[in-house]
Amino acid sequence: MAIVLHTLDGDWTKQQISGMLGIFGDCGVVVTEVIDCGFSVNRQVSELDRLIVAAPDAIVALPVANEQVAAAFRRVSESGIRLILLENVPTGLLPGKHYTSLVSSDNFGLGKMAAAGLAPHLVEGAAVGVLGFAADFFATNEREIAFANWLQANRPDVRSHVRRFGAMDEAAELALQMIADHPDISAFFVVWDTPANAVATRLQSAGYTPAMATVDLGEDVAIALAAGRQFVSVAAQLPFQQGVAAARTTILALLDRTVPAWIAIPGMSVAQSNVADSFQIIWRKPAPARRCACLALRPDGKSRTVRSVSIG
Amino acid sequence: MDANAAESSRLRGKGRPRTSETAIPSLIEILNLIRTERASTRQELEREAELGRAVVADRLQLLSDLNLVDESELGHATGGRAPRLVKFSARRGLILLATLDQMSIGVGVSDLSGNLLTQHHEAANLTAPVAQLADRLTSLFNWCLERQVTPTAPWGISLSVPGTVPSGRDDAFMTTTPPVLPAWEDFPLVETLTRQFGVPVWIRSSVETMAMGELHVGAGHGLRSMLFVKVGRRIGAGIVCDGQLYRGAQGAAGLIGALPVVSDGVAGTLDVMAGSNMIEREGRAAAESGRSPVLADLLRRGTEITSIEVSQAAQIGDTAASAILSKSGHLIGQVVATLTNALNPEIIVLSGTLVQTNDNLLAGIRETVYGASHPLVTRDLRIICSQMGSSAGLVGAARVASEALFSPSFLKDWILHGKPNMHPGFVAFHGLADKAEPPPPNHLPPSDPRRIEP
Repeated sequence: MAIVLHTLDGDWTKQQISGMLGIFGDCGVVVTEVIDCGFSVNRQVSELDRLIVAAPDAIVALPVANEQVAAAFRRVSESGIRLILLENVPTGLLPGKHYTSLVSSDNFGLGKMAAAGLAPHLVEGAAVGVLGFAADFFATNEREIAFANWLQANRPDVRSHVRRFGAMDEAAELALQMIADHPDISAFFVVWDTPANAVATRLQSAGYTPAMATVDLGEDVAIALAAGRQFVSVAAQLPFQQGVAAARTTILALLDRTVPAWIAIPGMSVAQSNVADSFQIIWRKPAPARRCACLALRPDGKSRTVRSVSIG
Repeated sequence: MDANAAESSRLRGKGRPRTSETAIPSLIEILNLIRTERASTRQELEREAELGRAVVADRLQLLSDLNLVDESELGHATGGRAPRLVKFSARRGLILLATLDQMSIGVGVSDLSGNLLTQHHEAANLTAPVAQLADRLTSLFNWCLERQVTPTAPWGISLSVPGTVPSGRDDAFMTTTPPVLPAWEDFPLVETLTRQFGVPVWIRSSVETMAMGELHVGAGHGLRSMLFVKVGRRIGAGIVCDGQLYRGAQGAAGLIGALPVVSDGVAGTLDVMAGSNMIEREGRAAAESGRSPVLADLLRRGTEITSIEVSQAAQIGDTAASAILSKSGHLIGQVVATLTNALNPEIIVLSGTLVQTNDNLLAGIRETVYGASHPLVTRDLRIICSQMGSSAGLVGAARVASEALFSPSFLKDWILHGKPNMHPGFVAFHGLADKAEPPPPNHLPPSDPRRIEP
């Protein structure tokens, strides 16, 4: 079987692959290729067409786009190869007909989790800046819908101001602009961690320190969260577990067992009090040394000293 | 008719008014041949519609002026010049879709051919005030429209609901809110959505929309007869005859859950005797008595026993759980066998979480249907589980709207205007809905979609 990913860079992808390969290895499934599409639509389409000729029993793939790659994914399923999708379904593809199963993070749950974590830091009638992603990307869409939904249901007093960035480097300037337009904004939700960290840094240098919530516990955000700098709530994906789930689903499908059309992996709510433990669960490695050295916390939220931290 | 179409008509009509009443039937026929992909070149249109070249050319020009068809692509040459392909402009408008059930709502957007473009599902409580539901739907629909890469206007809204939707006076589009659930009686959902989005609304039962989805893109694709059975708390059937969903005189066809069955000397309706409530109840009893070790263990660890737990226990080999599901399968099978003998379908598609999470129910239904049917009826009959899951309802809802928008009786009154919301009957209804008093403020939840920018 083959694995086709948007990129092979980054911890998220590495953990996914690690989760998959372990289970496949245990079950005697040979992964013949792990393909890096480099976020390129053309590359993904050509790689899928090449794999159709190679004819593996199954392909686990993360689509890099919606409409542009839909035809290529259709060709894969029409060729009889079992298709397990990660995160996103290309436009118009249907379970049972075009693909076996979608394995994704519970992005809706992540959005709600971020809102629930941020809410205690919002005073009555507060205004929140929401920075979404301008591209029509399922995962970020779900997080944004869920964040708004949770606030509407649980904190109707809170007002939201929404803007969407097209490129990551636009997010910080957009946040500054939002504060200029709406000086009452006291908190921000950014749909993933890298732009969120850029926003936090830029705002801090401009003299603003709003409470921040985001999705994914990247290293920088983990450090900021532990140190109590701006970040108060992070809803983290569990990429290793997602990889395990994708591999198990593939194996069941290869055994002709019925699998759910959509499998959502719940996220993990991370606050200052559980950042060290969570980091280890999420990334399968100890939390970064410099953060642990400055502040490590017990689950009850009280500080403790880490005696020896040599890895990180 | 818009200015361009009128201009084209003058230029090409050579003194003959092309948009007269007599042109409309052929215009509709040609549009529907293209839309349903039964014809994709001018030659095919001439052959299928049995119309002359000049008439086809004339109607195509008008449809092109109305932006309903596109002739920009070339087909494959088979000797001479490559033919120009005639395609339906399915992206001219969008259909907003929603499926509502007891535990969740799903929303989606499709093109005018009913192809699903996006979908989103979230947990919801259908017993909450219907105004809250309407508010959530409006927010999600606005969201879907806002996120389109190319901004496109909606042309219709199609909803799938957990109850029978009476047919009759609302055939063209809905003008009243059907009392599907008790709370819906005093809330004008259809009128509210019409006012908000300015497009016609259609509502069908979830069994009907799921059957439509299965028929058009699922296991029933290309078949003329199908029986679709949804098993949940209630058990319902979607009946497809001659490629069409049969709704019955009142829109109530397929309410098989109301049929009486007898099991172990106890009589009751199929819903009560074989639905998920029975499975849950019997499963809990098996857990409490210890007859089911798997369920008893779950109960000890504080897990609530629902029909899903029973289903999963059966799947891993728990004998008591398997027996509960087999019993349900046999009872459903008896009723389905009767229908099978009456209708002689090519395929029976079973749907619902219970069916999709274990094989025992499917086995029970298969055993009874094959055993209790005439050999001719079962010779080529396939009985399978739906693979489409929750997407079937959205896809089917899209097909309901797409078929209604382009049904000749509705299309004839809007085609020359180019958009369905210009249909005179709809314009009148929209005017009334606009003037009607909005629902009282206490119906409105604290959230208001306009609070969210931009």
